[in-house]
Amino acid sequence: MNTSIYAKPVMPRIVVRPALATIMIHGLLVLLLTANWASMDRERIKVKPLPNLVNARLVDASDLQPKPKPKPEPVKPKPQPKPEPVKPKPEPKPEPKPEPVKPKPQPKPEPKPEAVKPKPEPVKPEPKVQPESAKPTPKEQSNRDALARIAQEELSSVSNEPAAELTATVDEISASFSALIQRTVISYWSPPPSARNGMECELEVRLVPTGEVVGVRVIRSSGNPAFDSSAENAVLKAGAFPELQKLPSAEFEKKFRRLYLIFRPEDLRY
Amino acid sequence: MEEQLSLLDLVWNATFTVQFVMATLLLASMVSWYMIVNRYLYFRDANDEMYRFEERFWSGIDLSQLYREGNERSADGFAILGMESIFRAGFKEFSRLAQQPEMDSEALVEGARRSMRVAVMREEERLERHLAFLASVGSTSPYIGLFGTVWGIMHSFRGLANSTQATLATVAPGISEALIATAMGLFAAIPAVLAYNRFASKVEVLNNRYDTFVDEFSGILYRQAFAVRTREKKAG
Repeated sequence: MNTSIYAKPVMPRIVVRPALATIMIHGLLVLLLTANWASMDRERIKVKPLPNLVNARLVDASDLQPKPKPKPEPVKPKPQPKPEPVKPKPEPKPEPKPEPVKPKPQPKPEPKPEAVKPKPEPVKPEPKVQPESAKPTPKEQSNRDALARIAQEELSSVSNEPAAELTATVDEISASFSALIQRTVISYWSPPPSARNGMECELEVRLVPTGEVVGVRVIRSSGNPAFDSSAENAVLKAGAFPELQKLPSAEFEKKFRRLYLIFRPEDLRY
Repeated sequence: MEEQLSLLDLVWNATFTVQFVMATLLLASMVSWYMIVNRYLYFRDANDEMYRFEERFWSGIDLSQLYREGNERSADGFAILGMESIFRAGFKEFSRLAQQPEMDSEALVEGARRSMRVAVMREEERLERHLAFLASVGSTSPYIGLFGTVWGIMHSFRGLANSTQATLATVAPGISEALIATAMGLFAAIPAVLAYNRFASKVEVLNNRYDTFVDEFSGILYRQAFAVRTREKKAG
């Protein structure tokens, strides 16, 4: 009689929760370990000689880099292009220039100077569309009002975006700086004849906020001293990246104070 | 960038023995965690059950009424555990013996006590289930891990002997991989030891409670047995 009570298996009552907890604990542990290891990777810039074609495209990418641009563009451009072709033939020259400028005011003051020449409108960075509408003014007084109205509407509809876009562009800006540094260093780099495909050396470059290089150190040798020193020389010859002055200091501290460059010859034909 | 050692890669590329050790330890860790949670829930339930039953028992309820309630519950498919099962064992034995008029009150209580002792032992057995496994995981898995580490280091030094250019880089991954085994051993052992100690003390506490209950209950039974027998004597 007693046995009828004891014969009942006690175990099955508690199975699911322990099993779930076990799987969760181990899954979490594995996730934690793997995630940590991956995120501890430093950001590195790869320096490899690229064919000229690709190089040219890189320049484009950095110029186009401000993403925010595209948003206002599709709307605004419509009114603008129309007046342009019709009225002043001489105008076309100035026109294209302002356009590249426009994108810059939106992201922030910094990207503008970096883009190289466009100095014109840096003064008022805050209203992204206003500079644009201001430009048309000298040309088309009549169109101006209509444009402004459209612009206003567009602005109100897009007004929420700038903040989000700005944060997004910080990464893009630093990416474009990385690209710039990469190009500069490549242009000074002449790999020694003993360089072979598959060689790779990593340099740590210390920069100051003015963009000057204050120290270069080989942290991972390729095994070929000539190759290492050619990489080192390339950085030393580049000497400074004054463009970095335009970078917000927080970004600079985060990404460029210590810079890791990987040199790796590719497409070598010997 | 690919040079960065990833933990998973290390495990993946480990030698067979080390991998085997790591798999064993992972299994041990998983099973022991399963048992830890299982035991935790079981002890929690047993504790709740005990408090609930004690409250009910001392509320002045008629004991045969309490017994009938238990019957209903067990008929509904609930397993009756802990203190209540001890009570039921004792009470059942007592009422069965009480129907035999030739037994005197001493013998009645003695019989009930005996069957309660059996029930206590069964409860104890239930409580201690899995604890032996936790204890052995706690005590052996560091050694298993150590074995994996020693083996892995041995292996990587053998590799060093074969290579002409001895650098740290030739042995470092092997040692790193081997040390994972020790880490895993400790990871399995520490919770198991902690849990074992905690659960062992809990088993102790519950057992004491059960023993106390057996004594208390047999006191009540003795009183009842005496009352029953004197009534019978008067009647007969």
